[in-house]
Amino acid sequence: MNYFSQLYLPGALAIWCALLFALTAIWGYSQVLTEDDPDKRRFARRAYQFFALSVVLAAGVLIILLMRRDFRIEYVYQYSGLDLQWFFQFAAFWAGQKGSFLIWLLWGSLLGVPLAYAAKRDEAAVMIVFTLTQLGLLFILVRENPFVMLAQTPTDGSGLNPLLQDYWMVIHPPIMFIGYAATAIPFSFAVAAMWRRRYDRWASATFPWALGGFLVLGTAILMGGYWAYRTLGWGGYWGWDPVENASLIPWLLGVVLIHGLHLERQKQRYRRANLVVACLLYLSVLYGTFLTRSGVLADFSVHSFVDLGISGWLIALMGFFFAMSVWLLATRLGQIPTESNEDPVLSRGTFLVLSTIAVGIATLVIAIGTSAPILTRFMENPGQVGPTFYNRVNQPIAILIAGLLSLVPYLTWRGNSAREIARQIGGASVAALIMAVGLAMGLRITQPLHLLFVFLASLALVTNLVRTVQKGRRGGLRSAGGYLAHVGVGIILIGFLASSAYDESTKVTLEQGVARQVGDLTLTFNRYIPRQGFEKEKMEVEVVRADGSSYLAYPKLFVNQRTRQVMANPHIHRLALKDLYISPIDFDPGQTMGSEQFELTKDQSTTLGDVTLRFVDFDLQAEGNALVQMQEGGLVTIGANVAVERNGNSVELQPLYRFSPNGQVESPVVPLPGGGLLSVLGINASEGAVRLAVSGVATGPNPKPARLSVDVTKKPLINLVWYGLYVVLAGGMLATWQRARELRILDSLRAK
Amino acid sequence: MSDSTPPTNTASPETKAATAVPRRKRPTLYIFGTLLLLVFAGFALNSFRETLTPYVSFEQAERQDRNLQIAGALVSDSSLYDSEREALMFTLSEEDSSATMRVRYHGLKPANFEDAISIVAIGHYDGGEKVFVADKLLVKCPSKYQGIETTETKTYG
Repeated sequence: MNYFSQLYLPGALAIWCALLFALTAIWGYSQVLTEDDPDKRRFARRAYQFFALSVVLAAGVLIILLMRRDFRIEYVYQYSGLDLQWFFQFAAFWAGQKGSFLIWLLWGSLLGVPLAYAAKRDEAAVMIVFTLTQLGLLFILVRENPFVMLAQTPTDGSGLNPLLQDYWMVIHPPIMFIGYAATAIPFSFAVAAMWRRRYDRWASATFPWALGGFLVLGTAILMGGYWAYRTLGWGGYWGWDPVENASLIPWLLGVVLIHGLHLERQKQRYRRANLVVACLLYLSVLYGTFLTRSGVLADFSVHSFVDLGISGWLIALMGFFFAMSVWLLATRLGQIPTESNEDPVLSRGTFLVLSTIAVGIATLVIAIGTSAPILTRFMENPGQVGPTFYNRVNQPIAILIAGLLSLVPYLTWRGNSAREIARQIGGASVAALIMAVGLAMGLRITQPLHLLFVFLASLALVTNLVRTVQKGRRGGLRSAGGYLAHVGVGIILIGFLASSAYDESTKVTLEQGVARQVGDLTLTFNRYIPRQGFEKEKMEVEVVRADGSSYLAYPKLFVNQRTRQVMANPHIHRLALKDLYISPIDFDPGQTMGSEQFELTKDQSTTLGDVTLRFVDFDLQAEGNALVQMQEGGLVTIGANVAVERNGNSVELQPLYRFSPNGQVESPVVPLPGGGLLSVLGINASEGAVRLAVSGVATGPNPKPARLSVDVTKKPLINLVWYGLYVVLAGGMLATWQRARELRILDSLRAK
Repeated sequence: MSDSTPPTNTASPETKAATAVPRRKRPTLYIFGTLLLLVFAGFALNSFRETLTPYVSFEQAERQDRNLQIAGALVSDSSLYDSEREALMFTLSEEDSSATMRVRYHGLKPANFEDAISIVAIGHYDGGEKVFVADKLLVKCPSKYQGIETTETKTYG
């Protein structure tokens, strides 16, 4: 069969083995369900471990193929190339759809190994559901196999998308996929609980996993924002793009779930809501994957989406797990045991519920906004919503959440009187007021809603900080994770408002050598610095600040040699209270730098500025024998020997020209001595002529100065967004530790 | 502190289900909450409608006053850029129809603009000047990324 002969067998075998072992594990665990026998349990566990091992092997094979730059493999050919440093070559693993499904499966299969032990009494049911979620990914990989081979072996890959050639590419996507993989765990616990009608342990058992997944996903989102802000030059850390939202929605649902589980454990209530949220959490990841990978949003997003033909599979997968959740929820919700006594209004329970509902509503709003192109598809003209929608609708929710959070430290489960709280909060509100006034004056905030926002965010920060410190003093820092996370939320909210509503952005075009005033800054474009090795082309801009201090900024703007994409990396100057962000938009080298094309026959010469070029002859042995390559029908490489004379020096250069029968052409550029670039545009075989292109060589007598267009933005307090997230994650870590410890105590109590 | 004690949910499901305590009602609070939610839902829906930028044909764009997005191919040699005033004028031709539309965009000219294969302009139609005023441009350029010919989209504005 053709399907088999086109596959790289070691890798493909590993994937088929994984499929086999996954099915075996499901069968084995179903046997445990009927009769819990230690041998049967061991067998099922072993099958699952072999499944995980097979996935590890498949991933290992792909890594080896990538590192060996084995371009026979289509995936290696499509996403990597000889020009990549080894770590980018490695990161090409998750550059494409197939590889990202594989790494998702890799993390999922590995998480399942400790999960089997942690699930204890519910192991069989939990592992059956969890393995089913892994099977979904596995089916996609069997169909879209990453180990497909090409008919011929190309000499070079087509390279990694230049947008992805960044250090963050090495670390951000794998962490994101750990987070995605972890969302299947609360789902498995929830489904298993409903399936087996055993609800008493699911909340405590899920809690540490839910917290851990929330932490990892949060870290990944932080890194993604950092990547977008610091290197991609998108102007901000968050653009409300569908791809970004697809990771934010599960994270916010994670926030809802964590708080719900906390309530369930304390009050034995909200169990039904938690089961629903745990299902939604996993379904939202599937839905986000569908949105961003099926091509449905192609006209609406800045990220490029290519439909791999897996939309049908993703819809089937979503449909299957959705139907499973709905059926279980519909048949079980009525019977689920739950306490239904009410909390007093002013109590921790009520406030937890209210703020959780607020986060849930924000999640819903974001989900609806992201789905706008699909929701409006049935209307006459489908459309989309932009950042204005998200910012406007989320603002009242953020204010509400800040207000609720600031009261949380004073509330007990039993309930409090309003007078009691008013007495306790007095000192903190004075501190918060001073802070808010300082911020309002510094940022010149006058809008009443923004003033309220800043005050409540400051209040949430102060009250939770006070409580964290108090707990820490009494030696109870371990249980202060929640408060610490809320301190972080206060910090983030201030950072959000300041950096989004109070940034000042100006676009200017700078003529080389001419100083230009931008606000209280004076900018001068000094020079263009050409590429040196892996160091990209950059621009040198001198920035003089109002107080006379100055610094040199090096924003980068370069054309990727393979794809001709224009890439921009901003320069960020970090000050204590704000970032000065200079993002290059366009560079016009001026008229002195000409770019010309000409066709030369053998020994014909031409002059461009101070450069004289003479075509010597073709070299058919430049990279192997071109005639043999031609007969084989693969990639053909021909060199063109060109004698270059400039300022009395002469050298012979050999730009290469590669082409294949399927129309693929590559023409790497060769630097000219004294500046400028030379490349082969084409070969005219019948006339024995070569078409050459020269760029970056001075030609005209009347030079027009080079111009650099930049976007200069002052982003006040933007660093608070990062610092706040660090604090949230630190709080989350404390909480994870605490909940894992409690689970151990609980299990040992049960065992007695 | 009660929040540091481990949970004590050990009752079996059967007994709990049977002895559910009846819910104490607090009607005013629930009515107030529902009202608040309804007001918010109205606000959210209204924001959604206002900020939604539907994809429309050139002909429809000329008849509407709201924020819209139109898509078309750049008519070659139609673009004019005034670098002093940072104003870009160009003409889009609509796919599947012979309609064309003049578009004005204030801001720096996007890099690789002339290579664009398709441009999405987000803004509104100015009936007086008979020109589409774009606040934002999505420029799709051909790129050889992924071995397959695909497009790369960038946002400006």
